[in-house]
Amino acid sequence: MRRKTVFALVFLMIASLLIAACGGAQPQPTEKPAKPTEPQPTEEPKVEPTAVAEEGQAAKEVEAGELLPPIVAEPCAPDCPFEGQTVSVIVNTAGAKGPISGPFYEVRDEFEAATGATLEIVEVPFAEHFPKLMTDMTTETGQYDTSIAGAWWLGELVGGDFVMPYDEYYDDPSFPQWDIENVLPGPRDLLTWGGKKYMVANDQDGQVMYYRRDLLADPEHQAAFKDEYGYDLDVPQTWAQFRDVAEYFNGKDLNGDGKADSGLTLHLKVGGQGMFHFMSFSAPFVIGPENSKLYWFDPETMEPLLDSPGHVRALETLVDLTQFGPEAMMAWSLGESWDHFLRGEAALTFTWGDLGALAQQEGSQVLGKTGAAPIPGTTEYYNLQTGEWVKTEEPNMVGNTTGGSWAGVISKFSDAPEATYYLLALMATEEKSLIYAARGWDGVDPGRYSHFLEPQGTAGIDEYLAAGWDEADIRDYTSAYYENFNAEEQFPYLRIPGTFEYWTQLDIHLSEAATGQATPEEALKATVVDFEEVTNRLGREEQLQSYKESLGFE
Amino acid sequence: MAETTGPLQPTQDGTDAVPAAKGVGTRTDRTKAIFLGPAAIWVLAFTIFPLLYAGPRKMASFRYGKINQFVGLGNFARLFRDSNLHTALRVTLVFVVSTVALEMILGFALALLLNREIRGKNTLRAIMTLPLFATPVAMGYLGITMYYEQNGPINSLIRALGGDIVPWLSNPFWALVAVIIVDLWQWTPFVFLVSIAALQGLPLDLYEAAQVDGASGFDLFRYVTLPLMLPTLWLILLLRLVEAFKVFDVPISLTLGGPGRATEVYSLFTYRTALRFFNHGYAAAQGFLLLFIVMLMVSLLFGRIREIYE
Amino acid sequence: MREKSIPIAGRVVLVIAIICMLLWVLFPFYWAFLNSIKKPAETFEPTWVPFLQFQPTLEHWRSELAIPETRRALLNSTIISIGAATLAVVLGTLAAYALARFQFNRPQNGTLTTWFLSQRVLPPVVFVIPFFLLMRQLKLLDSVWSLVLLNATFTLPFPVIILSQMFRELPKELEEAALVDGATRFQSFFRVALPLVVPGLVATWIICMAFSWNEFLFALTLTSQSAIPMPVIIAGAEHTRGVQFWYVGVRVLLTMLPPVILALLAQRYIVRGLTLGAVKG
Repeated sequence: MRRKTVFALVFLMIASLLIAACGGAQPQPTEKPAKPTEPQPTEEPKVEPTAVAEEGQAAKEVEAGELLPPIVAEPCAPDCPFEGQTVSVIVNTAGAKGPISGPFYEVRDEFEAATGATLEIVEVPFAEHFPKLMTDMTTETGQYDTSIAGAWWLGELVGGDFVMPYDEYYDDPSFPQWDIENVLPGPRDLLTWGGKKYMVANDQDGQVMYYRRDLLADPEHQAAFKDEYGYDLDVPQTWAQFRDVAEYFNGKDLNGDGKADSGLTLHLKVGGQGMFHFMSFSAPFVIGPENSKLYWFDPETMEPLLDSPGHVRALETLVDLTQFGPEAMMAWSLGESWDHFLRGEAALTFTWGDLGALAQQEGSQVLGKTGAAPIPGTTEYYNLQTGEWVKTEEPNMVGNTTGGSWAGVISKFSDAPEATYYLLALMATEEKSLIYAARGWDGVDPGRYSHFLEPQGTAGIDEYLAAGWDEADIRDYTSAYYENFNAEEQFPYLRIPGTFEYWTQLDIHLSEAATGQATPEEALKATVVDFEEVTNRLGREEQLQSYKESLGFE
Repeated sequence: MAETTGPLQPTQDGTDAVPAAKGVGTRTDRTKAIFLGPAAIWVLAFTIFPLLYAGPRKMASFRYGKINQFVGLGNFARLFRDSNLHTALRVTLVFVVSTVALEMILGFALALLLNREIRGKNTLRAIMTLPLFATPVAMGYLGITMYYEQNGPINSLIRALGGDIVPWLSNPFWALVAVIIVDLWQWTPFVFLVSIAALQGLPLDLYEAAQVDGASGFDLFRYVTLPLMLPTLWLILLLRLVEAFKVFDVPISLTLGGPGRATEVYSLFTYRTALRFFNHGYAAAQGFLLLFIVMLMVSLLFGRIREIYE
Repeated sequence: MREKSIPIAGRVVLVIAIICMLLWVLFPFYWAFLNSIKKPAETFEPTWVPFLQFQPTLEHWRSELAIPETRRALLNSTIISIGAATLAVVLGTLAAYALARFQFNRPQNGTLTTWFLSQRVLPPVVFVIPFFLLMRQLKLLDSVWSLVLLNATFTLPFPVIILSQMFRELPKELEEAALVDGATRFQSFFRVALPLVVPGLVATWIICMAFSWNEFLFALTLTSQSAIPMPVIIAGAEHTRGVQFWYVGVRVLLTMLPPVILALLAQRYIVRGLTLGAVKG
């Protein structure tokens, strides 16, 4: 036994060392950093057509696609500006072909050839990203040069003096050029703080509603729906209508596979960004023409407002809606909920732009059937300033920039800030941005004039058709987003210090309400208690100050 | 605790081990110090010192990850009114009690059942050691795929047997069950292996004597096996309790504490406080509470073990 | 127990129990393996036998091992676990010998042993912040060495307790003879006592190594980029796009197999190791 043991041990050690050592040795011999500005089709393993329809995985089989953004940076050799520097980017885990992180793998060769610098990509799960970043910055380690950060972290990042504004680089012609004015006003606000530019435009988030156009246009369904509900089946404009439509379609076979499907799909796993859906959902219950700002805190006392009758009714409505979706969605992450819709197993959902674009890709069962419209509204909202319910004639619709709007910030402790900005600006160039926005898999969602079709924006339909979009789908999609970002009332995004913690607590309590561990009112009351705890710890006065500033009160 | 190491083998107390060590005075002291010193200093340096170092931070409150105010005993006071903490404590207790009880019962029962001459016993034993060393966090992620509610292997099996699919990860109750099952998978074999090792070390002649006296199978178990096994069982209980209180890897990977706080165990809660929200002071206070609970438990049980052994 | 003959019914129960147990223990490993060689679209098909029921693919293994970050993590895990185990065994063996052969008065041997044991009783989460602050001070954040130090600390009780018993079980006479012949304590330790416990030493080393390899909490907390080991890498298999069954399969196996296989080699000492010497396996 003894000799065998020792021998096997040595063997194992050598084997594992070998595997590992292969990694360190040669720098990935990837393809040459491409010459022409032509999008080059990568040869790609053909997916067997049978694979597509398989249950469970259809959408994940969606291949990244042939569409590549053009190369815009010239190789620099022999005179490279950032020779020998390393840029480390920390980004949400999603892999080389996943949302937000994917484009960095894609641009790596081009960036390295153009600058002489090396790009390192560190992927961390969504829930660990902010803590990791903060740890790095509070210890002044400077391990990460840039984080592809969520917009709601900016309060902490700027307040703690951890990131640097890039105004100076932005004006410098030696960096790749992009135009911040091209970004629509709503998302543009998230890029700056106190008049300085901090985040380099990348992804623009906002949530819209998606519906199955084919189902809503089906005469049989229309007739049956009218019988049952007494009004015409149409794209829901209020949450009440949304509920009816979801209820009507729930349990019916929506994709012809003979199995009962769901009225709607959501994702509610703790730590999976579920709280964002509550925000877009609840906005029209609280925000309206007479109250366009107050949602989170009382600007006098910093007391949380989240247990107001408006919020409570919103959460009750949302919890009520979950009965029309599959029970499993309580444990779903984003992708699983999207896949449910992409397999044609749900009639309605509301989420980010990714879904509309994913629907266009190979493997999707809903290409050409995916309608999009702004998030539904209400006919009554609770005015927090007066403490009264206000009825509205027209549906009260509220736009949102809900989500991460994941974009790069430059760490103050970076030893290569210029190379870092070069990378971010390179990816922000109009040429690249358009392709990013048109593709589904990369997670970069539209929000610039150059992404929207004429006359709202400057994009031509041809680019989108070339990217594989269905014409009806893209028209719905861009106009839904355009309307969303330009809506009169906008959901007040929270960016003060501590937002990460406020929202994490909210996320947990929402999950409690959704799974019946607490009533909506209890859940929101508990959230308020947690919010107060955070506020007290961070200092009520300072928090109040930040909050007022963020509302533009001072 | 040295006493616990004795009873299942001939007592060999180290104290009178080496007469040669006596009487050489300082020289021996130096030798002793050289042998024991490094490890002792090491443990001191890496346990006591960090704890002392963190001491003053218990009182502090943080903003932007830096101390912004001293809150005195506020962080300790908060322990008593933080309902989230109490939820975490409750979840942990449920987890600890149910996993430890089930593992003890299942593992011991299996050991009794298999304590006989069977072919391939060594192979069986080898296979049973596999779960003990499976990376827990890997098991958590593997668990996500196994508990997958639509068409995952477990639900497929349940459906094939005619049952309804179980909402493993989406329902607060079942999510906790799911976490518990992973722990059962991993640690029942431990109870089994230790029990069977101890069973096989029991003195044969006692059984023979009892059988001559006409004792039935159950009597044998009740009056011979069980009393003889008690010390081992107490020991397993202690070891499992201590480990179960540390649980962290599986909940964070399998459920992230959700849905809601249904599977948010204490360690996960403290981890969040410390490293997600940078509330170092409060996290340290939580740490001390946990330390207190575990120490209390260990010393209570320990007295019991000592009692049995002596 | 030691019944002379087992009735047929009993035998059937026994066999069924064993089969259930084996299935229960082995299924997760097999499931991981299956996923790692199935094409994504086949994930949910009830096919269980490669080649017969479906065509396996090594695609996921290849692409996972092609990721430089994964290979670095394997290397890091190897360094951390070997480093920590070696350090723990070296320190622990010396202490174990001292506890077995010398008499300490203040504190006494028993107390000392308990003190070493207590390292496995303390909940690690208590130490997260202190260690984090300490490592920050030492500029050892995101370094494999911080994890080597830590894991050595937390696995130190294994060699101390297990080996001190093994030393006690050795006949004293051998060493005494060496001492009489004029050997020093160290010589008698290295030449006489140590060679006799080598199998136990190796087994203890393996246990320490497996525990260090599997450690997650500190690995997650103290690494940020270049020192990330396998258990942290594995977290990347579930992400924004949902669980990637096939990568979970590959990563789970890459992470689990080394400690599991090593542990099989230390089989004989597992029970004794895990009960910290209290029960001889």
